[in-house]
Amino acid sequence: MKHSLKSYLSPFWLLPLLLVIVMFVSVLQGGFSFSPRDLMGELSAPQALVLWEIRLPRILLAAVVGAGLAISGVALQALFRNPLAEPGLIGVSSSAALGAVFVIVLGRVLWQEVAVWQISVAAFLMASFSTALLYLIATRHGHTDVALMLLAGVAFNAIFGALTQLLITFSDDAQLRSALFWMMGSLANLSWFSVGLVSAFVLIATLALWRLVKPMNAFLLGENVSLQMGYEPKWFKWQVMGLSALIVGVSVSMVGVIGFVGLVVPHIIRLWVGADHRLVLPLSALGGAILLVLADLLARQLLYPAELPIGLLMALLGGPFFLMMLLSKRYARLKNLSSVQGKGF
Amino acid sequence: MSVLPSIQVQKLTVQRGGVGLLNQVTCQFEAGKIHCILGQNGAGKSTLLNGLSHEIQPSQGQIIWHGKPLDSFSYAELATQRAVLSQSNELAFSFTVEALVSLGEEVQSRPQTASEQVIQTVLDVCEMTHLKDRDYLTLSGGEQKRAQLARVLAQIWPTKACTETQEEGGDFLGKWLLLDEWTAGLDIKHQQSLARYFKQWAKQGLGIIMVLHDISFAAQLADHALILKSGKVFAEGDIQSVFTEAILSQSLEMKVRVEQDALTGQPIIYPIL
Repeated sequence: MKHSLKSYLSPFWLLPLLLVIVMFVSVLQGGFSFSPRDLMGELSAPQALVLWEIRLPRILLAAVVGAGLAISGVALQALFRNPLAEPGLIGVSSSAALGAVFVIVLGRVLWQEVAVWQISVAAFLMASFSTALLYLIATRHGHTDVALMLLAGVAFNAIFGALTQLLITFSDDAQLRSALFWMMGSLANLSWFSVGLVSAFVLIATLALWRLVKPMNAFLLGENVSLQMGYEPKWFKWQVMGLSALIVGVSVSMVGVIGFVGLVVPHIIRLWVGADHRLVLPLSALGGAILLVLADLLARQLLYPAELPIGLLMALLGGPFFLMMLLSKRYARLKNLSSVQGKGF
Repeated sequence: MSVLPSIQVQKLTVQRGGVGLLNQVTCQFEAGKIHCILGQNGAGKSTLLNGLSHEIQPSQGQIIWHGKPLDSFSYAELATQRAVLSQSNELAFSFTVEALVSLGEEVQSRPQTASEQVIQTVLDVCEMTHLKDRDYLTLSGGEQKRAQLARVLAQIWPTKACTETQEEGGDFLGKWLLLDEWTAGLDIKHQQSLARYFKQWAKQGLGIIMVLHDISFAAQLADHALILKSGKVFAEGDIQSVFTEAILSQSLEMKVRVEQDALTGQPIIYPIL
């Protein structure tokens, strides 16, 4: 692989360039639009307020959350050895939302005001729990049953979603925001502090996952094979579960559930550069950032002055993509593979 | 004379869910020899191989690897000394053949020119060079097997490249290749060409331990045979001493006629319907 890294250098400048362009366009566009010349010259007070307190944090948040969700998709796909594992599809995101809502409601009773970090911790814990539980359900003797994974995800989404709605229905807490927020996500109205918090954790988790790219590659060949190649899978699995849950938990606690980023982006990146995690991990981060900044721009502009929930837009884009993946020949082979393995051992 | 590296299996007992898979198995494997493990389905062949690769923990007994307990090695250390080709391989992601092989190669930290050379050599050996840019998922079963074998070979390939002229180079000394039914899915041509390579590498010090079902093939290929029956050692020794009509018919419950090759003295096995 060492030499082919060189030949794949192109996406490493293409994607950052694209990200810069998309972010720049996104800064200009909106209810309060700027021309590039505005940005060069002196801004009026309201312009500066919109730019610094609304537009910029929102776009940076979209980029960071997009990168994080794409990376957590990559990590979960390595863990389940399947390209269809995605935090939204398999119920990890909705469990994080439940954790967040639960601590807001509980905190209101116990200690009045709930801090942002407490919500994030609760979301992270629930995300870890549901990832571990799903892994126990869908993976036996080191083999993942793909159908079981997806179906258990459907059940998880139903259960966690219902509990979240139940809590919201019986609570009138202002901090809870709306049920729509938790199910559809929103990048609006977040402070620089939130942006910093999400960025810090996504960065930490990404760097930690970067250390694991080699065992992640080996793990794709099978749990026993990764052991034969010298990587002990036990500790590795806990790390991958924890780190992807960290990203999902922190993201969901800030912006609600935004699905399909972790499915669409790694898939496209793999079609482009192959499955080596040394390429897939950083490029998916860039791709996820581009996708979510773009989706946020669309969400703000399409029905202006109304704003589409970003999660809704991602579902509209990602749902058909997911169906396409299910029907593609590439995946047909995959299904055969998993049914053969089901009989094995 | 220095003692060749060896693996000693001492009273190995493996139980899973109350079922005894291996029962007090004691045997020895030596560097530079091709060992073949035979037995009926469920006799414990794969379990023994998994024990040797340290994928499973024995309930009792131990394995002495190069004079030290197998437990005392880290998995990373073992990975540089032995490579394993399992019966089934699962890979649901699109790696090119070359990228797959390089995953095995990276277990060793070699300089870049050496790694490229190793990858090229093992691809040549497995006759996969013309397919090196193909997506693994689009290959046929036999081609996938050869790609996996190339990955496995790259993991333990000696950095000092060996040439065919080196007869007693000892380049592979201290390295082990564990193969679980490697012939399954391979056409005869590739079975034969790889078997010739195995014999050549064994002369250079490689210890090969393989589970096989084809006893005629084993008779030609292996130096040493271990026959398991119901988790116990039924017979162990040189091919000539183990491959007799009495032992084979009792242990494998098959009808067989054994003759001696007039030229080589090797047993020739005729299974009879």
